[in-house]
Amino acid sequence: MRYRILYSTEFSMGTQNMDITPNDAEEALAAIQTVMQKTRHSIASSGTYITLIVTGIVWLIGFTCTQFLPEISHYVWIGLSIFGSILGTVWGFRLGKRVRSPATAATARRVGLYWLFLVFFCMAVIAVAWPLDGKQVTVLIVLFALIGHLAMGLLLSFAAVWWPLPITALVLISYFLLPGLFYLWMGVLGGGGMIALGVYIRFRW
Amino acid sequence: MTNLNETIHQPVRLRIMAALVTLETGDEVDFGYLRGLLEVTDGNLGAHLRKLEEAGYISVNKVFVERKPRTFVAATAAGRKVFQEHVAALESILKRK
Repeated sequence: MRYRILYSTEFSMGTQNMDITPNDAEEALAAIQTVMQKTRHSIASSGTYITLIVTGIVWLIGFTCTQFLPEISHYVWIGLSIFGSILGTVWGFRLGKRVRSPATAATARRVGLYWLFLVFFCMAVIAVAWPLDGKQVTVLIVLFALIGHLAMGLLLSFAAVWWPLPITALVLISYFLLPGLFYLWMGVLGGGGMIALGVYIRFRW
Repeated sequence: MTNLNETIHQPVRLRIMAALVTLETGDEVDFGYLRGLLEVTDGNLGAHLRKLEEAGYISVNKVFVERKPRTFVAATAAGRKVFQEHVAALESILKRK
């Protein structure tokens, strides 16, 4: 025979009685867990999927162009960099409005400085290692960018840590094993993979 | 004696508090974002937020962003404390099962 265990409770907002069975408590705790997990995922994934989709589009167009139209690829990359920066900033700003944090401004300044220093370090490494060919410069820039994303993930959101690792593996595989198809591989698999991952995180995660 | 809280235990309010305490202390979330996250209607969310605000468990901040009215919601220190006590009470009930 099923029975109910009742707990009488008192409240800070006046004395009231409340009947709670262990099953009710279990359901309430499960609901709390679900919402907390959903909230964490939602906040963590919002920045991640934007970064992935924007970077993926830039890579897909830029590297594919470098493979097949190397003579105009410099202009394409300049245009894509501007497009990616503006789109990422605007999109990120729109999402940033969802959650307001008193620490946001300070964090944003630190993140901005971090990326600035990373660019200087990347340029320094390229200068020290010069002369380099186009592929070597590309790999170094991409590896520095991926280190940056990895650090951002570690510092700001653990949910966003993992994605630079498989992309780094793709970059290294293409550089060492497929030098003839390097740019195409980076564009289609690297860029396309990031777009697919971003869409997956946005709609399924 | 357990410290269950009837105001918080209502299912929608329980989920609202769970979402808000997941944020960092001081962070506030947009009304529309919270509505989408919890999959509730405007009216339903608004009514439950009023109850929680009256109890002092959340703060509701109405501001203008780019000339448009926006509502941001955050858990107060009292709300966080009461929510933790409520969760502890639920867990203690389960332990006694």
